[in-house]
Amino acid sequence: MINAINLSKIFRTDEVETTALNKVSFTINRGEFVAIMGPSGCGKSTLLNILGLLDNPSDGEYFFLGKEVSKFTEKQRATMRKNNIGFVFQNFNLIEELNVYENVELPLVYLGMTASERREKVEATLGQMQIMHRRKHFPLQLSGGQQQRVAVARAVVANPHLILADEPTGNLDSAHGDEVMNLLASLNQSGTTIIMVTHSQHDAEYAQRIIRLFDGQIINENIKTGREASNSL
Amino acid sequence: MFVINIKIALRSLIRQKFYSLINLAGLSAGIAAFLLIAMYVQHELSFDRHLSKLDRLYRVVEIQNEPGVGEQHVAITMGPLAKAMKDDFPQVINAVRFMPVFNVSLIKYNDKSFNEQYLFYADPSAIEMFDIEIVHGNPAQVLAEPRTVLVSEKSALKYFGSAEAAIGKTLLFDNTSFRVSGVMKDQPETSHLYFEMLVPVATAEVLPEFERMKGWGSNSLITYVQLDDPSSFDIINQGFDDFLEKHVFSQKDTWQYLEMYLQPVSKVYLKSGHIKFQNVYAMGDANMVNIFVVISGLILLIACVNYINIAIARSFKRSREVGMRKVLGAGRYGLMVQFISESAIITLAALIMSLGLVELVLPELNSLLGTNFRIDFLSNPLYNLGLVILFIIISLISGYYPAFYLLHLQPIQALKGISSDSGRGTGTLSSVLVVFQFVISIGLILAVLVIRDQVNFIKNKDLGIHYQDILYVGFGDKGYEKLKVVKTELLKNPNIKSVAGCSFMNGVSGSQGPVFVDDTSNTKLYVRYGFVDEDFFETMGIEIAEGRYFDGDLPSDVNRVNIINQAAAKALGWEVAEGKFFMYPEAADSSGKTEVVGVVKDYNYYSLRSQIEPAIWGWQPERFEGVVIKTASKANAEKIKHFIEEKWNDIFPGQPVQIIDAVNYNLKNYRKDQNSFTLFVYFTLISLLLSCLGLFGLTSLILEQKTKSIGIRKVLGGEVWQITFMLIRNYLILVLLAGVIALPIGYYLMQFQLNKFAYRININAFHLLLPILIAILISFTTIVFKAYKSANSNPADVLKYE
Repeated sequence: MINAINLSKIFRTDEVETTALNKVSFTINRGEFVAIMGPSGCGKSTLLNILGLLDNPSDGEYFFLGKEVSKFTEKQRATMRKNNIGFVFQNFNLIEELNVYENVELPLVYLGMTASERREKVEATLGQMQIMHRRKHFPLQLSGGQQQRVAVARAVVANPHLILADEPTGNLDSAHGDEVMNLLASLNQSGTTIIMVTHSQHDAEYAQRIIRLFDGQIINENIKTGREASNSL
Repeated sequence: MFVINIKIALRSLIRQKFYSLINLAGLSAGIAAFLLIAMYVQHELSFDRHLSKLDRLYRVVEIQNEPGVGEQHVAITMGPLAKAMKDDFPQVINAVRFMPVFNVSLIKYNDKSFNEQYLFYADPSAIEMFDIEIVHGNPAQVLAEPRTVLVSEKSALKYFGSAEAAIGKTLLFDNTSFRVSGVMKDQPETSHLYFEMLVPVATAEVLPEFERMKGWGSNSLITYVQLDDPSSFDIINQGFDDFLEKHVFSQKDTWQYLEMYLQPVSKVYLKSGHIKFQNVYAMGDANMVNIFVVISGLILLIACVNYINIAIARSFKRSREVGMRKVLGAGRYGLMVQFISESAIITLAALIMSLGLVELVLPELNSLLGTNFRIDFLSNPLYNLGLVILFIIISLISGYYPAFYLLHLQPIQALKGISSDSGRGTGTLSSVLVVFQFVISIGLILAVLVIRDQVNFIKNKDLGIHYQDILYVGFGDKGYEKLKVVKTELLKNPNIKSVAGCSFMNGVSGSQGPVFVDDTSNTKLYVRYGFVDEDFFETMGIEIAEGRYFDGDLPSDVNRVNIINQAAAKALGWEVAEGKFFMYPEAADSSGKTEVVGVVKDYNYYSLRSQIEPAIWGWQPERFEGVVIKTASKANAEKIKHFIEEKWNDIFPGQPVQIIDAVNYNLKNYRKDQNSFTLFVYFTLISLLLSCLGLFGLTSLILEQKTKSIGIRKVLGGEVWQITFMLIRNYLILVLLAGVIALPIGYYLMQFQLNKFAYRININAFHLLLPILIAILISFTTIVFKAYKSANSNPADVLKYE
């Protein structure tokens, strides 16, 4: 599904040149659950942005679903994104002016679905995430755990092939954190590919494979058995 | 503490350069516009303020209601009125009569000769009542003796080289000599009644043609009275009924439908639009002044609203700072002072810049209005006390609300950044302010469109008389004797098409009076008198509706027959006017009878603001004051004028020639409208610009706050156009809402304004829709650029902020 070859990302300001990613190569297959770990500033989020087509690499090739996308324009990336990728962020990134229902509905609006199609899908997803009763609430009226469930609902409502999660439990207490991790794990079991950036060894245990980054390079790829991940269920 | 506040304020302003600049530009343009309008308004309100007895001085105004012209207010009165009022009303402690000197065409001293426009007969009481300062001569004597003249310093300089030299010199008024009895200080130009030479009324009273002036039947003098106390105003007004009964109605052959009232001199300049026959130097319009006061207030308000809007929007960013300060122990008072210091710094900078702008624009304004405004810190309160008050008010208004808003947040709340609930609250406030600005802008655009069309309508309306290619040259009192020579000589030039004698280029003389139908009914009709020769109507393109023009081949037409206008025929209910007879007090023929030989189509001899009144024309050469000359339309104007001057010098040696271009002359009627309109357009543009500037600043800030939401939407697959459209849609709703509020109010106010014109346009759909379209276009262009830029940014960059 994902084939990254020598991906580099260099940030330039007037005076400083920072190499956030340095010739990173790896492959991720359909249905995998991969954790990316590493200390602050090692390039995790930069890598996730590139994988999520939010940003282009400075150098290297990136094959997503068999297409080389590293030179895509923003318009092409947007099309690719909305059809294939769901995002979950550490700080939820819900739109505060929209209520729960509208937040979850938004990706479907951008996919051009009709209102009735959207209602069916949103309601099904909200039910699945057990937040149906909160659908009229605004994000700031919810607890962190509830907000993250809304964010996950929004990420999956369009049935993406890939979910990218950027420290999804970073702002949550451990109970709510586990709740979200279990949600991700069950999504993975039903076939969705998940790539997750995390600081937490505990969360990383849910993944089948851990890619460790340091100073923009992969220092270790640790393949685990699927059993450990499913054990935690 | 104070220094720290200033320091923090300065740093905060510098850090946010863009918004500080928008604030500065907006505020300084707003203040500059305010100051300019304030100077104009100040000028309009300053008329006659130099009179020390202003609160007790009144002008007598008559309301006539004679058949024909209907009810009219006139500011000329009868000869005996002043004395009778002084005798009958103990409250009238002084009275004066003024009358323009019409029958003098030229004033000469040795080889110098001039036409004098500001020459009046006046009673000696004028000196005291109008604070005329006598520089040379005995104040008690200067207006006492017949055949003397009191001249202004300016005139003395013009004729005699100095004020001292003037005393005792002799001026020739045409061929009559007048001794200079004294020299007075020049009148301020802000006088409704402006004079450069005064001649005692006693001079006129001995002349035979003024015999009629001594009775109650004729109106030709302006009467002013001075009361003992302003409170006597009502007593006099109520006493006029008995007064008129005693002096006027009890006598034969005088007025039958007449009322009188006192008009405070303080209101003459601004509130005399309804009064006819005024001999005033300048006329203002209270209505226009009010409009400008409102506009200046609005402009200032818009500028402040911009500031508040941007400050509140910025408060999202500053709430953390405020929270932190609170946590560290800053008191409400200290924070309040800090915010107000910031707005005070901006306001101060804006005030200084606005003075620069005013200085820059003043020459333009002065040449447009013919004024002499200047920035005067010492003697004009607008520029000392006024500036201080402006500074305090703007600093407080602009600084207080944002400060108040931020300060009422709890420290924890503020630290977290403003919550969505309060965020929605400021969103509403910002929306209200944006709607407010658009209401004003849409209203002003509507006003500009309607006024523009009205001004053009009046400019292009067919008056029924054609001034194109017409020149008018006056030849004075006895010039008619040489009319034949004038015509023959002028017509030798192939570029001169026709020449006609007349009382004035518009065909009518200044006077108005009755005619009586010569039948058993003896119906009286009040009409305008006009005196023209056989060529006048054709020269001026005035069409005949019935009968004929005067006929040059019929010498019996002279002084015997008359032509009336359709309005007169209509007022008398005549289907056929030809062959009817009038008894006509102005008739030259001793029988006083005159036959109607034609009816001309109604034409506007005065401005389009007044309706066409009944009029009657006689071919009475001795009443002609000059000629109208129709030139070939492609002729060289300068050459023709030179030709006329040469001929004039041959025919009337020693008499100055004044050639008036009829088109320009008649534009004067509307010049004041035109000037006010130009000013109005300028200031509307400024307020529009300010609104745009505010909108631009506000949009930028709102988009900054929406950065995250835009980023999320992009991550979720929103396309640039979708997001741009979403951002713009909200503004369009606000603009439409503003339109719904502004248009009905604007419609009502403009109807009110238009009703003041006798000939007016109707407000149409174009006037109502275009302002909305313009407002949409403005907001669109302002926003689209910013919104597109935001929507097009890289979502990864945007989300990094979080």
